[in-house]
Amino acid sequence: MSFLAPLFFAGLAAVAIPILVHLIQRERKNIVLFPSLMFIRRIPYQSVERRRIHNWLLLLMRVGAMALLIAAFARPFLRLDPVRAAGALSGAREVVILLDRSASMGYADHWTNAQQEARKIVGTLAGEDRATLVLFGMGIEESVRATGDRSRLEAAIGSAAVTSDGTRYAPALRLAQSLLSRSALPRKEAYLISDFQKTGWERQEEIHLPEGAELRALSVATLESSNLAVTSVKFQRASFSGEERVMVTAALTNRSADPVKNLPVKLEIDGRLIDTRNVTIGPNASGAVTFPAVTVAAPMRASVRAGSDALARDNEFHFVMTPSRPVSVLIIQAEGAAANTSLYLTTALAIGTAPPFKADVLSPSRVTPANFEKRSLVILNDSSALSTQTSDALTRFVTQGGGLFIALGDRLPWNGTELPLLPGAPSAPVDRLVGGGGTLGFLDHSHPIFDEFKDPRNGNFSNVRFFKYRGLTPAPTDKVLARYDDGAAAMVERAVGSGRVIAFTSTLDDSWNDFPKRHLFLPLLHETARYLAQYAEPDAWYTVGRMLDVSVPIAAIVREGGAGDTQSAARRPSGVVMAPSGAQTTVGEGGVQAVELTEQGFYSVRLQGLGERRPFQVAVNLDPAESDLTPLPPAEFVATATGRAAVTATGQSLENPELTPEDIEKKQGIWWYLFAAGAALLLAESVLANRLSKRFGFGLS
Amino acid sequence: METHALPGARFVDPKVLARIKDLELLARNVVDGLINGLHRAPYFGASIDFAEHRGYVPGDDIRRVDWKVYARTDRYYVKQYEADTNANLAVLLDVSKSMGFASDEVSKLQYASFLAASLAYLSHRQRDRVGIVTFDSDVVTHVPPSAKHFNVLLHTLDRSRAERPGRLLAMLDKLAEHFRRRSIIVLISDLYENPADLIEALKPYRSLGNDLIVFHILDPAEIEFPYSESSRFQDLESGEEVPVVPEVFADQYRQMMREHIEALTTRCAESRIDYLQLTTRQPLDEALVHYLGNRERLMRVR
Repeated sequence: MSFLAPLFFAGLAAVAIPILVHLIQRERKNIVLFPSLMFIRRIPYQSVERRRIHNWLLLLMRVGAMALLIAAFARPFLRLDPVRAAGALSGAREVVILLDRSASMGYADHWTNAQQEARKIVGTLAGEDRATLVLFGMGIEESVRATGDRSRLEAAIGSAAVTSDGTRYAPALRLAQSLLSRSALPRKEAYLISDFQKTGWERQEEIHLPEGAELRALSVATLESSNLAVTSVKFQRASFSGEERVMVTAALTNRSADPVKNLPVKLEIDGRLIDTRNVTIGPNASGAVTFPAVTVAAPMRASVRAGSDALARDNEFHFVMTPSRPVSVLIIQAEGAAANTSLYLTTALAIGTAPPFKADVLSPSRVTPANFEKRSLVILNDSSALSTQTSDALTRFVTQGGGLFIALGDRLPWNGTELPLLPGAPSAPVDRLVGGGGTLGFLDHSHPIFDEFKDPRNGNFSNVRFFKYRGLTPAPTDKVLARYDDGAAAMVERAVGSGRVIAFTSTLDDSWNDFPKRHLFLPLLHETARYLAQYAEPDAWYTVGRMLDVSVPIAAIVREGGAGDTQSAARRPSGVVMAPSGAQTTVGEGGVQAVELTEQGFYSVRLQGLGERRPFQVAVNLDPAESDLTPLPPAEFVATATGRAAVTATGQSLENPELTPEDIEKKQGIWWYLFAAGAALLLAESVLANRLSKRFGFGLS
Repeated sequence: METHALPGARFVDPKVLARIKDLELLARNVVDGLINGLHRAPYFGASIDFAEHRGYVPGDDIRRVDWKVYARTDRYYVKQYEADTNANLAVLLDVSKSMGFASDEVSKLQYASFLAASLAYLSHRQRDRVGIVTFDSDVVTHVPPSAKHFNVLLHTLDRSRAERPGRLLAMLDKLAEHFRRRSIIVLISDLYENPADLIEALKPYRSLGNDLIVFHILDPAEIEFPYSESSRFQDLESGEEVPVVPEVFADQYRQMMREHIEALTTRCAESRIDYLQLTTRQPLDEALVHYLGNRERLMRVR
């Protein structure tokens, strides 16, 4: 029971008025003339029980009326406890307790409160009641299955702990739905105990609880929370004296109504403090702090730490600083080709920085299968026919994940009709010299290589003139990325094994088009090379909940030369993944293929067959969404999740915590009943007092 | 219909008497009604009741010689009768303010007046001399005993008002000197004094050979204490106020009043003072019978 205007209780002092009237006033009022006080005076005054209440009923009615009126003015309202209300009803219950243990529950005392709420629910179990304890974050764990054993449930609640997991309500609710649907007990209840982070709920995820089942939301959220989090880091790489130097910039978010002033933010690398910078961030704002550049020669474990608050986990951010590795490109051009055949191409690749490209130009006759090793991309730049051995090696290279870019000019790299790597069937060149040349009439902007050019401001390919191009009829499985204005295919992609092949039906010099002279040539070439080489900068960090497929980072290392000649190890990796807590998981051959990253910190991946190489490091951080503690009103949550209004077991609407006390009081209107009861009591008191007054002949007080 | 212990007692019901304004008529009603019911005449007077014979001594009235005894014994004997002489009846009436208290129709003063009038009438009928002294803190009226003062006495009673606080002990001391001649002294008061002090004050009257009858007049409310509501009690004489919660207080009060009456009864008996406590609700016959008994005993002694 709460009160809107508790100050009115000062008026309870008025309750003393009828009591005083009963005790004192009546004595003063009636004076009895008596012949002599000779005997009366002899009785000690103190022994006279003069303060005696004479009419208890009347007094109680008056005091009661006064108290009721004061309570009415204090505007009372009830905050209903749905747990106790539900427990008070009869009938065996199937109870599912969904206990949120995501990282955000580590905020202040949220977790303790949540455990208490869960224990309260367990405390209401009686008789044939059964309960299931489900711990959830991004995933779900059925901790205790349908039991009436309260001690087991309480032990499970007590041993549960906050994890580094993110929050997703839907899986937990679906499990509750499933458990309740299977239950034969008459009453079905699901309790969701959480901080109700907005970020954990997708509104379209509707849950269909079985008929009669009710979902009760118990929030432990703090309305006025404050939390500082390091949300990400960015690297700025630069070469200096043959070494790569990386400047780290950490982004911080202050989710609080108060500013953060001069907060020391530390950068640690491999456990050593590198630098500390102070940062000031306004309320509900983000800030950044940049540390001086450090030299990165090998992968290093790094952390940014920013003070400590009620949710300490997101005040640190882990990442791995890895030196960038250039994408190795082999350019094969025809024997005796013009000097400038690959000029534009090599020049464009040479100025690439993200990633840098390392290009070698060879003629088909000089290419050996060994030349494909450690390569990420092969470009056939108007190449003449390859030898069978080279072609086979190239096919193997592509199948195993390499990239191939084919620029078709006067020549074709393959003789005959078996052209497994060429996406489509070539035909004679088309001359468009008449009419000022052709243009690109269609671009597949959904493709990654054109993604950058979605925005018209980023470039207009209509200015590029194509005077000649080779006809190419794509196979049905091939994908046309660009067409000329006459409908002929300009760029066609084909997937071969793990690799990718893109054919461009014109040249990469200025003999058939003016494209190399256009400013779009460079970015498109870079995008295409990056796409074909399947280049991806190694993730500096992962987020809790992601799966780590060990083959991906290792394959990248091997392909780029980091693993020497241990190609077999790269192709079939196996080893052990050690979590920050020390837990080990066998992966690869004889183990799982992927590991779920569930802990915050650094995972070590040690692969067999990689010699004494340092273990591969994986930094794992909290889901940034966990730092956003903005709560969803529980009633709204229940309404959107179930499509029904949240109700208590007594059938009353669950109070919305975001409703102001004024709203709740207005809605309940308890004061009216108290006022009516007080008035009725006063009326009854008047009637009774009148009767007593008539009976005793004078006014009673 | 209300019944009474004595025939004719309905004529002495104080409530009925209160409606009679004429005190003489009232007294006559009371006394005659009462006397008519008695089996023997209670009147005392000269030569009515023979007391004894004694030897003739020179100087005795020769008419009182019993000649029948002389004839049988040849000696002179004189007949001696009771009520040799008529007595003085002196009424000491307390008219202090407390006597004005009435919880019913009859105040203590009214009742005392009826009683005094009836006694005076009775005495006057047997030719006693009657007188009255009314007093409060001082003597209000003094009517010396005389055979002619019956009407003055009634008039005095009629005019008496309870207006001032009283000083019973001081007035008893003062009035004791006035009764040199043997008298029947009737004190009518509510006796709100310490019994020991009161007896001390009354002793001089006894030592002077007076017969003293004390009528203790109380209102029923003073004995029963019927109050139930908490009130402030005001002393009629001093005006002092005391808060009182009667529920608990009443028992103590009644006990104290009982002890007071018992103390008066005991001490009066010890000092050979006739004491009768009356309430204004009691018929006057009891008081009159008591008086007559006392008067008879007094005459026999002589």
